[in-house]
Amino acid sequence: MSKFLKLIYNELYKIYVRQSTWVMYILLALIVLGGAILTTTFDDITTEYSDNWREELTQENEKLLNQNTEMAENSGPEFTVEYNSGEIAKNNYYLEHDIRPLNYGAWQYVQENAGLLSFVSLFTIIIGASVVASEFKWGTIKLLLIRPISRTMILLSKFSAVLVFALFSLVFVMLSSLLIGGIFFGFEGINPHIVLEKTEGFTYVPLIGETLSAYGYNIINLVMMTTFAFMISTIFRNSSLAIGLGIFLMMGGSMVVGIFRDYDWAKYILFANTDLKQYETGNVLMEGMTLGFSITILIVYFIVFISLSWVFFNKRDVAGQ
Amino acid sequence: MNQVALELKEVKKSIGKKEIIKGLNLQVNQGEVYGFIGPNGAGKTTTIRMIVGLMKIGSGDVRILGESIQSNYKEAAKNIGAIVENPELYPFMTGWQNLLHFARMYQGISKKRIKEVVSLVGLEKVIDDKVGKYSLGMRQRLGIAQAILHNPAVLILDEPTNGLDPAGIREIREYIRQLAIQENVAVIISSHLLSEIELMCDRIGIIQNGELITERYVNDEADQTEAKNKVVFEVGQAEQAANILKDKDLSFERDGDQIMVNLSRQEIPGIVKALVEHNISVYCVTETKTTLEDQFLEVTGGNVIE
Ligand SMILES: Nc1ncnc2c1ncn2[C@@H]1O[C@H](COP(=O)(O)OP(=O)(O)O)[C@@H](O)[C@H]1O
Ligand SMILES: [Mg+2]
Repeated sequence: MSKFLKLIYNELYKIYVRQSTWVMYILLALIVLGGAILTTTFDDITTEYSDNWREELTQENEKLLNQNTEMAENSGPEFTVEYNSGEIAKNNYYLEHDIRPLNYGAWQYVQENAGLLSFVSLFTIIIGASVVASEFKWGTIKLLLIRPISRTMILLSKFSAVLVFALFSLVFVMLSSLLIGGIFFGFEGINPHIVLEKTEGFTYVPLIGETLSAYGYNIINLVMMTTFAFMISTIFRNSSLAIGLGIFLMMGGSMVVGIFRDYDWAKYILFANTDLKQYETGNVLMEGMTLGFSITILIVYFIVFISLSWVFFNKRDVAGQ
Repeated sequence: MNQVALELKEVKKSIGKKEIIKGLNLQVNQGEVYGFIGPNGAGKTTTIRMIVGLMKIGSGDVRILGESIQSNYKEAAKNIGAIVENPELYPFMTGWQNLLHFARMYQGISKKRIKEVVSLVGLEKVIDDKVGKYSLGMRQRLGIAQAILHNPAVLILDEPTNGLDPAGIREIREYIRQLAIQENVAVIISSHLLSEIELMCDRIGIIQNGELITERYVNDEADQTEAKNKVVFEVGQAEQAANILKDKDLSFERDGDQIMVNLSRQEIPGIVKALVEHNISVYCVTETKTTLEDQFLEVTGGNVIE
C-alpha cells in the first residue's frame, strides 16, 4: 500500500472500529426497512397494473377527479388537489403515448430514498466534525504529529477518509434500498423507464439514470456541509460546535437564503447554490444565476473551507490545553 | 560510536509575552541516558514539544543526528520516538491495534518487530485487550512500545515514571538501560522527581524557569574534578585576600575571616599558592561538595509539589 493509502486506511479503521459508527448504519438500515414496511402497508402506489392498464389508469383518474371535486366543496387541503392533478396529468401522458406504466419496484424505491441522504449528510457531518477534534480530545494528536509525515498529509488523509465514509454510506443506502425494495416490491426489470415532470413537461426517462442523478444532486450539499463542519472542528478543535453549526446550516441553510433573497448579493450565499437541480427543473432561485455561476461559487467556498482548515492545522502549536 | 544524537542550540520559546524557554543548549550522545529534571512548570514538556515538532521553535535549532527538525522535518522525525506528557492512546482499540496503527505510519515495520517490542515492554498478556481497560502503568509501557517501534535513534520520554510504583519504575529502568546499551539509543527522560530517574541516567540536567541550571554526570569521578564547588578559605588577613581574588576576577563572598569562592578542584592549589606568596596566613581550606540532590532541592525549594 502506498504511504498515503495507509494513512487513509488508518483513519477509516478508527472510524469503523467504533460502535457509534455501526449504530449509524443500523439506523440507516432500519429507516430503509421501515420505509418499505410503511409503503406496503399504507400506500396504494404499489397497485400492480395488469394488461388492462389503460382501463385501470382511466379509473384511477376518475377517482382522483372525484376526490378533487369533493375537496373543492369542503375546501380541503390545496396540496392534495395539486398532487392529484399532477397524477392525473401523468396518467394522461401514459395513455396518450401508449406507455404502460411501470409497476412499483426496487429501483423506484431506491430513487425515492435519495431523500435519505440527509441522514447520510447528518452522519457524515458528525464524522467530519470529530475526525480532527477527537484526536485533540483523546490527546492522540501528539502521537500522530510526531511521525515523519507532514501535517498536510495527515489532514488530507483525514478529509479523504470522511469523503470515503460518505461514499460508503451512500452506497449502503442505495444497496440496502435495492435489496429491501427487491424483497418487498420486486424488480422492475433490466432498464426500467418512468415518466417524470421536467422543465419541458412530462418525459419518459431511464429510471437508473434518474436515480443516480437524484443521489448526485444530494451529494453536493453533503460534501459542502461536511467540509464546513470539518473546517470548524479543525479551527476550534471542538467537535460539538462543528456538529451543531453543521447541522443547523444543513437544515436552516435554505431559510437563510429565503430571508435575504430580495438582496442581489444573496446569490453569493453558499446555500443558494447547493441545489443544482434548480437548473434542470428551470425553477431557478434568483434571476441571473446559471449553472456555471453556482459551480464557481461552490468551488470557491470549498477552497476557502479547505484552505482555512489547512492553515489552522499546519500553523498552530499543539500545546497543552 | 558516541556521535551526538540530539542537539539543542540556543532554543527559546515565548507564549504570548511570557518567555518560557530562555536559550537552552544541550547535547545527548548515542547510547546515553539523559535525565531532564525540573520542578513542575519548569519547561520540560515545552522543550520536548519543540524537539518533536509539536511546537514551533521560537529561535535556535534542534538537530536529530545532524538533521534540523525545522528545515528537514521528515528526516529528523524518522529518528525520534516519543511520549509527550501522558501516554494517550486510542482507548477503543486494543494495544495491538494501536501499535499496528502507528506502525502503518512508517515504512517497513514487520509484525515480527511489533511482537518483539510487545515482549520487550512485557505486554504480551494484555495486548489484545482494549486500551481503555489498561492501568496507567500498562499505558506507559504501551506508550514506550509505540515510541520504539521504528528503532529511533532518539527516544524521548516525558515523565514516564508518573503513576508507576517502585517495581514499575525499576522495570522501566531496566529496559531503558537495555535500549541505550544494546541499541545505542539516546534516551531523554524528564521527571520532576530526581530520585525516580537518577538511577537510570548517565547524565542529568536540571532545568528551572526555562533555563538549564546545571548538568552533571551521575557517579562519574571525571566530572568531580571539573565541577565547581564552593571552597571556603579561613585566613588571617581577609581584606588582603579579598583583593587578591578581585585581581583574579573571581567572585566571592566574605564572612569575617572566611572567604567563599566557587572553584573547581584543580584551581584550589593555585589560589593557595597566591595567598601564601602574599604572606597571608591560611588556616584552613574546605571544599563543600554540593550533591546533585542538594542542588535539586535548592532549585525546588526542597518542597516538591506533585
Ligand atoms: N499553552 C500554553 N500557554 C501558555 N503557557 C503555557 C502553555 N503551556 C505551558 N505553559 C507554561 O509554560 C511553562 C512550562 O510548562 P511545561 O513545559 O509544561 O513545564 P513542565 O513540563 O516542566 O512541568 C509553565 O509556566 C506553563 O504555565
Ligand atoms: Mg510536563
